[in-house]
Amino acid sequence: MTATPPAPAAPPPKRKVPFAEAVRERTLSSGARFLVLENHFNPTVAISGSLNAGGLFAPPDRRLVASFTAGELAKGTARRTKLEIAEELESRGASLSFSAGSADPVGVDVGAASLSRDLEILLDVLAEVLLTPVFPAEELEKEQMRLVGVVREQQDQTSVRAFEAVSRRIYPPGHPFHRRTAEERIAAIESLEREELQRFYDERYGAGTLLLVVVGDVDSGRILDGLERRLGEWRSGPSPEIPRPPAVSPAPGSETVRMPDKASADVVLAQPADLERSSPEYLACVLANSALGQSSLTSRLGVRVRDTEGLTYGIHSGFSATHLGGPFAVSLTVKPESRDAAVAATLEEIHRFRREGMTAKELADEKSSHVGRFKVDLASNGGIAHALDAAVYYGLGVPYLDEYPSLVERVSKEAADAAFAKRVDPDRFTVVSAGSFDTP
Amino acid sequence: MESNVPVPESSVVDSALAPAVPEAFDFVREKAGIREWHLRSNGLKVLLLRNTVAPVATFAVVYCVGSRNEAVGHTGATHLLEHLMFKGTAEYDREKGTAVAAVLEALGARFNATTWFDRTNYYETVPSDRIEVAVRIEASRMRGALLRDSDRVPEMTVVRNEYERGENSPFQVLYKETFATAFREHPYHHPTIGWRTDIEGVSTHRLKEFYDVFYHPNNATAMLIGDFEEPEALATIERQFGSIPRSVEPIPEVYTVEPPQEGERRFIIRRTGQVAWVALSWRTVAATDPDTPALAVLGNVLGVGLTARLHLALVEESLALSVTVVPWQLRDPALFSVFAPVRPGVATEVVESRIRQEIARVASEGVTEAETKKARTQIEAEVIFDRDSTDQVAASLSEAIAVAGWEWYADYPDLVRRVTDGDVRRAAAKYFRDDALTVGLYLPKEGPGA
Repeated sequence: MTATPPAPAAPPPKRKVPFAEAVRERTLSSGARFLVLENHFNPTVAISGSLNAGGLFAPPDRRLVASFTAGELAKGTARRTKLEIAEELESRGASLSFSAGSADPVGVDVGAASLSRDLEILLDVLAEVLLTPVFPAEELEKEQMRLVGVVREQQDQTSVRAFEAVSRRIYPPGHPFHRRTAEERIAAIESLEREELQRFYDERYGAGTLLLVVVGDVDSGRILDGLERRLGEWRSGPSPEIPRPPAVSPAPGSETVRMPDKASADVVLAQPADLERSSPEYLACVLANSALGQSSLTSRLGVRVRDTEGLTYGIHSGFSATHLGGPFAVSLTVKPESRDAAVAATLEEIHRFRREGMTAKELADEKSSHVGRFKVDLASNGGIAHALDAAVYYGLGVPYLDEYPSLVERVSKEAADAAFAKRVDPDRFTVVSAGSFDTP
Repeated sequence: MESNVPVPESSVVDSALAPAVPEAFDFVREKAGIREWHLRSNGLKVLLLRNTVAPVATFAVVYCVGSRNEAVGHTGATHLLEHLMFKGTAEYDREKGTAVAAVLEALGARFNATTWFDRTNYYETVPSDRIEVAVRIEASRMRGALLRDSDRVPEMTVVRNEYERGENSPFQVLYKETFATAFREHPYHHPTIGWRTDIEGVSTHRLKEFYDVFYHPNNATAMLIGDFEEPEALATIERQFGSIPRSVEPIPEVYTVEPPQEGERRFIIRRTGQVAWVALSWRTVAATDPDTPALAVLGNVLGVGLTARLHLALVEESLALSVTVVPWQLRDPALFSVFAPVRPGVATEVVESRIRQEIARVASEGVTEAETKKARTQIEAEVIFDRDSTDQVAASLSEAIAVAGWEWYADYPDLVRRVTDGDVRRAAAKYFRDDALTVGLYLPKEGPGA
């Protein structure tokens, strides 16, 4: 590369082509879906994708098999060791990751990036680790030892402790959103065997739910052919059906997790919320939540608890909405002595919001904010790839990106207030604080 | 919604053509597609970089003032002031319902401000038809901040909670203590967030004085990156900033120089917890030093990726949970740091000695040509990835301006490309000396809930 970026190879983009027309797509008979969007402004490529092999599909007492299987994919293949694979990517400044986190129990996230000149090599590695992982026992053992340490390290974090405790109280054991204690998880990590990973891979991994979105300085026809050539023979794998966990209705409660030597405490107020990403009420809920608590600076909770009362650096509320409806949670950090005042102010604001709903100005501001932010987030290859991936993964389809502004515009105050009030009731909250508290 | 598909259309700005110079500006230079202009009326530097990949633009103003410009009693003033800039200006005032954040949020802008050792920056990424709002807000902040005591009082406790959150993080505690130990005279000694009692005690009057000394067009650079037309952009900037006068007094310089370190320094912090950390930091040079690119390459060779030397020595060997290498690039001489959380059950002495062993090996034997090449490629790729998003370019440009001047951003890829394995070896031998080392240990102590 030269220091001076080359004069753009392509003239400036014309921005009137809808995504639905610009994105090229191919679906294989196995079920695999590939989407490509050309953007030649910068010589880079971003890949975002998924496949349904998250913790939901592992036995309830062995959820971590899913995250380990995803994490160990690139630790060795039939042909190469972990370090050979890493060298291939790192020597080009390229990256590739697979992860199955607890926020979305359904999917394994695929993320990758490279300079466009290295894309073929990146795709070779991606296909190699997806199709021929061998889960070397010695790599698993190292990761087990490391993760036991990481779990212990996380136990020193007030935010982690508060979230774990709240999820234990509002979701029963075995539920995909239930988080087990550190000791339980450490015992589970230590008892893992490579055969368990291999078995989970054999049962759950396949092209049936594979989705890969490639955005950047590429030739779309060539990339689609290349993806089909590399992944076309992969088995379909299991049924794409997503089992739903039973609805839960926990009793409200509170808990204090005592941790010495913590200058700041974390407080989480939460309840199960049953909002799926594909729900027709999703945008209504999200607009309402934005007015209440998305921003520490401008939302009602931020204006009251941070800006006016100065009780917190950060306060945030949000729904966890993926294929499954997760919790609605409000989280804030406070000096331990300020907890009660901060929680009282927070609850008062949520009660008022639920009672009175959004103002017309809030709704109008949130609409313009969401439409503007959507545009801003689509300003990079990574941002576009992520948005396309999510739209397809959640069954909304590529045209969703074109329709988004009008869908947002269509939400009425009544719909937003009702959708929010149906799911959020502060009288049902479980409140957990983690930090250096003298009294409960 | 609009997509970003490029199809042939009219030409972009052709850098070979001499730019038409608007009346109010002097054209200074162009490098890497970035054009520098000076606003004649007040000396404001303006950088423009067109990137029409999406209908958005990032406007940012960076002030050459950071915690480096503070002294005892008002440490953290730069940062507290940055917070107060969201509270109210003559035009954008929370008390009138026109708070900066509310105005920007309604546009869907991505915005924030950050304070660091050498600079403070304010930025907003907005749909490109709303650039003027961003420019107007920043012009209003430059001289129009109200800085009311009624704003400082609740905001002080917000900032104090930010400080407290930092104290919860072993990494942050270690890096703050490392700087406080390695620097005794130079203001890098104190952290950007400030000391707790200075955050609590500094007066509104003192903050106002600080604002009046440093917030002037001749101590700032404005930059616009993204989808805009140059003549309109310059006209907008002139309209909003043109009437702000330059400072009456010159901007004060920092003249304190940290003397050479004459022996290894060590500190220990004991707090309740489960995981120990080890931090080793060597005194190095200012970002503008010719050795900086070699130190950056060394940082990658030692710390970036699974195949990096310290990752192989510590994480692959199950001694540490991870390892982070930071070749700090600051305006004045800084540090080269290695941080590692120790795997429970492993002694901190083992991790410290393993790091020292690897560092000594690099200092005596150097690195391979293949390692140097890999690191160079990684850094080059990072620079190119940066260009994917306008706010990332703004962030990188801000850092360059703070430590060296914006051209450093443009020159950096070339400087790195020229680094040889010989350069890396020389730099390692020169800087990795025990007399210039600060070692910090964060040790878990027994306690309830540990």
